[in-house]
Amino acid sequence: MRNIMNILFTSFTAFAALVGCGVFIAIFTVIFYRGLPAISFEFLTDQIRVAGASGGIIYNLIGTLILLVSALLVSAPLAIGIALMQTVFLNNGALKKRLELLLYILNGVPSILFGIFGFIVFVKYLGLGKSWLTGGFLLGMMILPTVTIALIERIRSIPKKYLEAATGLGLRKSQIIFSVILPQSMSGLTTGSLLGLARAAGETAPIMYTATIFAGATIPTGIKESPVLALPYHIFVLAQDAFAPAAIQNLWGAALVLILLVFMLSIFVLPLRLKIHEEAHHA
Amino acid sequence: MLFQNKSPIALYSWFSTVFLLGSMGMFLFVFVYQSIPGLAHSKLSFITGDVWYYRSELFGAGAMILGTLLVAWVGLLIAVPIGIGAAIFTSEILPAKLRILVKITIELLAGIPSVIYGLLGVLFLRNWVYKLLTPFDPLSGDTVLTAGLLLGIMILPTIMTMADDALRNVPAAQRLAARGLGLNRAETICLIVLPQARAGIMAAILLAFGRAVGETIAVFLVIGRQDNRWPESLFSLRPLFEAGQTMTSKLGGSEVNIAYGDTLHWGAMMSLGLVLLIIVGLVTHLSARLIKCGAVHA
Amino acid sequence: MPDLNTCMTPILQTHQLSVAAGERQILRDINLCIPTKQLTAIIGPSGAGKSTLIKCFNRLVEYVPSIRVNGDVLFHGQSIYKPSVNADQLREKIGIIFQQPVVFPKSILQNVIFGVSRLGHIPKKQWHEVAEQALTDAALWTEVKDRLHEPALCLSVGQQQRLCIARTLAQCPEVILLDEPTSALDPKSTEAIEHAIENLKGRKTIILITHNLGQARRLADWVACISTRHGVGELVECDLCEALLTKPKSAEVIEFIKSRRREEQISPMMAS
Repeated sequence: MRNIMNILFTSFTAFAALVGCGVFIAIFTVIFYRGLPAISFEFLTDQIRVAGASGGIIYNLIGTLILLVSALLVSAPLAIGIALMQTVFLNNGALKKRLELLLYILNGVPSILFGIFGFIVFVKYLGLGKSWLTGGFLLGMMILPTVTIALIERIRSIPKKYLEAATGLGLRKSQIIFSVILPQSMSGLTTGSLLGLARAAGETAPIMYTATIFAGATIPTGIKESPVLALPYHIFVLAQDAFAPAAIQNLWGAALVLILLVFMLSIFVLPLRLKIHEEAHHA
Repeated sequence: MLFQNKSPIALYSWFSTVFLLGSMGMFLFVFVYQSIPGLAHSKLSFITGDVWYYRSELFGAGAMILGTLLVAWVGLLIAVPIGIGAAIFTSEILPAKLRILVKITIELLAGIPSVIYGLLGVLFLRNWVYKLLTPFDPLSGDTVLTAGLLLGIMILPTIMTMADDALRNVPAAQRLAARGLGLNRAETICLIVLPQARAGIMAAILLAFGRAVGETIAVFLVIGRQDNRWPESLFSLRPLFEAGQTMTSKLGGSEVNIAYGDTLHWGAMMSLGLVLLIIVGLVTHLSARLIKCGAVHA
Repeated sequence: MPDLNTCMTPILQTHQLSVAAGERQILRDINLCIPTKQLTAIIGPSGAGKSTLIKCFNRLVEYVPSIRVNGDVLFHGQSIYKPSVNADQLREKIGIIFQQPVVFPKSILQNVIFGVSRLGHIPKKQWHEVAEQALTDAALWTEVKDRLHEPALCLSVGQQQRLCIARTLAQCPEVILLDEPTSALDPKSTEAIEHAIENLKGRKTIILITHNLGQARRLADWVACISTRHGVGELVECDLCEALLTKPKSAEVIEFIKSRRREEQISPMMAS
């Protein structure tokens, strides 16, 4: 009897793991299989024509790239400052807990609310209209917790002996930061940023009211009234309205490009991040 | 204490933290401030009222709140058993090398953008659910059930990774002692490991719930976006098989553009956002507390 | 090395037992006989592989990552590594006590009968009786009889260790493996546990890893010494307790006894 339960239990958990992996493989395979025919050099370098039924997604890629770069420029510097505050400057345990809690709360805020917030403050109140800068800023704030926490975990895993040696040599806190902490934790910043950007690349809700339109934008020339195209929004719109087979084909192609973009951003950092995560939790 | 360190880097850290706090504060303020007209108008019926018809200035979000909870509930129903089961398998049963492979696969699953899930829902899941529900005579495949199923897959990685963490935090000595007594693997996991990982697993479920509540794009695409679907009885399964509306799908739709400018209507929309913020804030707070509790016991 | 004739029915035997973990060889060609219902002490320098050795007896060694076990271990003359052998059932009969006490976050009573209650061999109405007997044998009953439902984590370290012993005894194992059970404890707890072990001699087969030669002398019938030769643990000598400790034959044992004597003279308390 006990043996039977043991076998049933093991089978159930194995089945669950199989489902989890199977779903992923199924999703990726479907997108790959359906999207690959659409991918061609023209697809990647031409602009949208006929509302997506033909042409390519070059400006969507450029738009997404612009959004990602601005998100990075917003989140990375802030992440460094906040991470240092949490690990170096703040000494009160209760305050540290609160700061970390705030980061987790920010991480859990629904992305649509970022979009609406941006809509009210930037698009309407500040009169910027739809702007790539707003989108970049909102995405940057959205991924800020991811980047910051990855950096914090990396800083925490710096062996104490380095810090003790530096203090023993008489270095001030700021010197220790620049000579030991920052250089050693850069990998954490990189992994956190890449993971954050992987998430930002696929987000639609923060940008759909604030930064992006479906067609008509190329490369923005200013900040006010300068929307960009974006890959996820493109897919979002077409998913609702596309019926022509050619458009559907291109839709799959766009989806494949997006998923590959996200994977490329995360595939290199995942093993490293898993390792840091393990070290931080099981040290 | 606070201004001891006058170095530029310290000031910069302070600035960054204050910026974070300020932004979050302003975020909250905007939502609260803008929802006041809406809440003042509807008062309690905002939550309890089940009719949302902006043309008659009726803003009862009850059906939407129910929709949100139903969708999250279905999602959890799928994700929790599979997620915890998969976590048990990877952390307790699988050898180390395969473990990393499975973890990477699940993390990649977590990274798939919601719009892609939405796309797959529109092009596949919708039809499957439609066929599945033919005995119930559905209007289309866009139902609360569809959204829930999609959400279940989306939050599966969250539960899996956090449950895996919680299980790994239970000390190895506990397992050895149990095996040393002659208990088999299933007994060791169920009687010793899982009870000690309880806090972390509950935190995982809470966090997944938070994600499910806040998900917009995928739900928007497959839920049908029909207001005021209030069931005759709260226990009937009927709403699952019909189109519905969640707070997020409302906020992701065209009514946002219509509402702007009209203080009352916009206030009501923003109140939806406020409710979402409160739910997410509570859930995250509780979840963080549980993780700390679990860590202390380990 | 005692041969099979002088062993008087060995309950456990190893044949050319070798253990490696990953790249590192831990034990090589161990041929050891454990006589029934007697106490065999295993001594030797730290890191020689003593813990690994006794974990081979109940196959708990399998949970060390990348472990490879060659050779054989016989229990009642049957190999325990045969595929038909159920390792869980084996561990019901061969119990183990670790160096650090591992109590479950439950009540004292629940801890003691934890194995018993799951294994199903003993009916529920006898559980309390079994618990009382086990706690008495572990020299803990008088201290906990009035608070059986309190959390086990409230006990002192010494009491927790005795609780672990009671938990193992409740299952009536034939063999009890003890991995330095008193090295983390104060002298009073050590004494209590040595007392408990002494009471078990003659009823159970006991294998005791100890760093304390005094303890070995007090309790052991046989002593085996595992020491490193060329970086790998080997069985260097095994003999009756008196014989090995007063007239050791191999160089490693002589050296080990000398070093332990020094330490135990300097601080008999610490050497416990």
